[in-house]
Amino acid sequence: MISDVKFNFVKLWAWLAAMFIFPLIWVGGLVTTHDAGMAVPDWPGTYGYNLFLYPLSTWLYGPFDLLIEHGHRLLGSWVGLLVIFLCIAAWKSETRTWYRRACLGLLGAVIAQGLLGGFRVVLDERTIAMIHGCGGPLVFGYASFLAFASSRDWKHANASIHSKGLWRLAWILLAATITQLVLGAQLRHALPGTSPVGFMSMVHLHLTFAGIVTLVILGVYFLVRTYPYASEPGLRAPANALVGLLILQLTLGIGTWMVNYALPWSETMPSLARYVISAKGYWESMLVTAHQATGSLLIAFSTWLICRVGRRQIALARKPDSRNIQVQPSAAVKL
Amino acid sequence: MIRSDLGNRQLLPAYHNSVGWLVMLFALCTCAFTGCGNSKATYKPNDLHAASLTREGSDLEPRGVAKAASALVEQWFGSLDAPRWPSEILGGELEAVRMDSVNRCAGPVGRGVDKVERGVYRKHCVSCHGLSGDGLGAAAMLLEPYPRDFRRGTFKFKSTPIGKKPTREDIHRTLYEGIPGTAMPSFRALEESKEFADDIDDLVEYVRFLAIRGEVERRIIALHVREGVALDETSEQLREVVRQVVEKWSSASSDQVTVPESPEFIHSPIKNPQEHSELMQKGKSHFESELTACVKCHGTSGAGDGTSQDYDEWTKDWTILAGIDPKHPSDWKEMKPFGALKPVLTKPRNFHWGAYHGGKSPSEIFKRIVLGIEGTPMPPVARAQNGNPGLTDQELWELVYYVMHLEDRS
Repeated sequence: MISDVKFNFVKLWAWLAAMFIFPLIWVGGLVTTHDAGMAVPDWPGTYGYNLFLYPLSTWLYGPFDLLIEHGHRLLGSWVGLLVIFLCIAAWKSETRTWYRRACLGLLGAVIAQGLLGGFRVVLDERTIAMIHGCGGPLVFGYASFLAFASSRDWKHANASIHSKGLWRLAWILLAATITQLVLGAQLRHALPGTSPVGFMSMVHLHLTFAGIVTLVILGVYFLVRTYPYASEPGLRAPANALVGLLILQLTLGIGTWMVNYALPWSETMPSLARYVISAKGYWESMLVTAHQATGSLLIAFSTWLICRVGRRQIALARKPDSRNIQVQPSAAVKL
Repeated sequence: MIRSDLGNRQLLPAYHNSVGWLVMLFALCTCAFTGCGNSKATYKPNDLHAASLTREGSDLEPRGVAKAASALVEQWFGSLDAPRWPSEILGGELEAVRMDSVNRCAGPVGRGVDKVERGVYRKHCVSCHGLSGDGLGAAAMLLEPYPRDFRRGTFKFKSTPIGKKPTREDIHRTLYEGIPGTAMPSFRALEESKEFADDIDDLVEYVRFLAIRGEVERRIIALHVREGVALDETSEQLREVVRQVVEKWSSASSDQVTVPESPEFIHSPIKNPQEHSELMQKGKSHFESELTACVKCHGTSGAGDGTSQDYDEWTKDWTILAGIDPKHPSDWKEMKPFGALKPVLTKPRNFHWGAYHGGKSPSEIFKRIVLGIEGTPMPPVARAQNGNPGLTDQELWELVYYVMHLEDRS
């Protein structure tokens, strides 16, 4: 049960942590886009300085790759601090033991991410960069879960129907978005010696999973509008948001393809035929980075859907008269 | 408390199962994919060239030949992370590349403690052109046209005649301008920024280095297969190959063709419709003449819909020259294990789009017409010089005018 203190610091820190992890992911994405992972060759310091004492002028007015890499590290430290505050607040005022432990888990995940980032630099290993790139959005999803679990909806969720179909679909969506993220990271962090055939296979898989994610999100969208879910408040918001994100993500995906590989039908339109990709151009970089960051948002929003559906499952199971409600027997045992 | 709730106790395993499944999925995906890669970068031997040369009438095993040739070339030109210049062969006379630039471009991406950025080639080029400059970067199969294989030493957009090497300025122009409608980007932003201003110049040197290295590798494979020359570091015949290739690159600027001063009508906007109409008529007659034969590929309207279709030299190299029909998958697929990509016909430019791969300026279009586009079916148009039949400079500019103004039709 969520504590009834006047001001919920747990909620504050949980939301702040999640909200700051997103720009951290964005800047991390920029680091990948600009191949700036080794712009600072040492770790945990920056060119021999303590991370926090690196001269501001050299950082802000230095090379762009140094700016974003050092900025990524500073932002990561700030997120770590926020998660520490969250842990302290949870330990002081949170009554749910699992939540307190989960906060500690988040701290561990953030530290692990920091260490992965550090090892990537110390060992100059692109494979670790890829794992680090996959881990970031997962940590974001985790932090989002803690933020959602501290929300009003989590506390007051109620349900009168059993949502087994939606529940399964939500988990399938999360699994598909995570797989899609890993595949995308493979493309973004491809090793210099990757074979064209291997890369092509990965592209095909990425496109296939884009189709799967699209179908599942559309499935969720239509399911929450049909009986019996239509009467359930709170389910439409994540479904609508997911559709919005999906449209954005598909558009960004096409854009990413265009600025990386040029469209295969470029000879069919004068504007496309004349378009010259600008290497490391501002808009090109932002577009590619936004595609990756929106992928992370899809994971976070899938988590939101799971929280909404799952919390209603729990509420239903806790109802004294839940046996009288139309619940499938096998599902009731699982719940 | 949730923990004490009976219903919730039954719920928690369901959460744990799902989370556990997701963690396993993530770990599996990550390990499966990352396990495939090898982060150690090495030059790829030119298996395809060896395979095409040994395909008929040779008992040599192509991969073995390519590997031995690659090892020998590595002795002369160093490894990917530590390139070197074969001064022991060239005697310090021929410096076709600036090695400080080559060293900056080679190796993994990153800054040293001196804050100097290195690995510029891997940062900007490797995903398409590959580590060895073989055009077999990770994204190669996604691109149309395929990324250029530098190892043949053939470059399309240049100011030197067919058979000659491009100048530094030619390669610089392609890097700076990019190629419209293709995946080749413009690196203009680098040159315009303070900290990356030298990147293009350094990349030009590295491209020259890879092209020299790759051509030496190709030619010693050919000597070994065709003439049985042993792949020995001390072989004078092989060392002579290094000298010849480097000599050609060193003398590239002396082969440069000067574009004559363009007439006023090329640059000035259309003021007199009658003059425009006359110029277009003249240009059209050159375009349709047998001397230029433009319509064969570009079509009568210049929409790139001519009847003639052909492959580029990079494709012919391992197909037609090796006795393989590129039109038949059953034929060319035998070369796939050696790194061959599906043969694709070249596309003549559609002038209505106004997108010229080699540059949009009148002088660049003039060069494409007079010099042709090496490695492609685009031949040079004969120029009337020293009594030889061909188009005069005035007529060539009229043709340039016509091609440039075809864009307006759309």
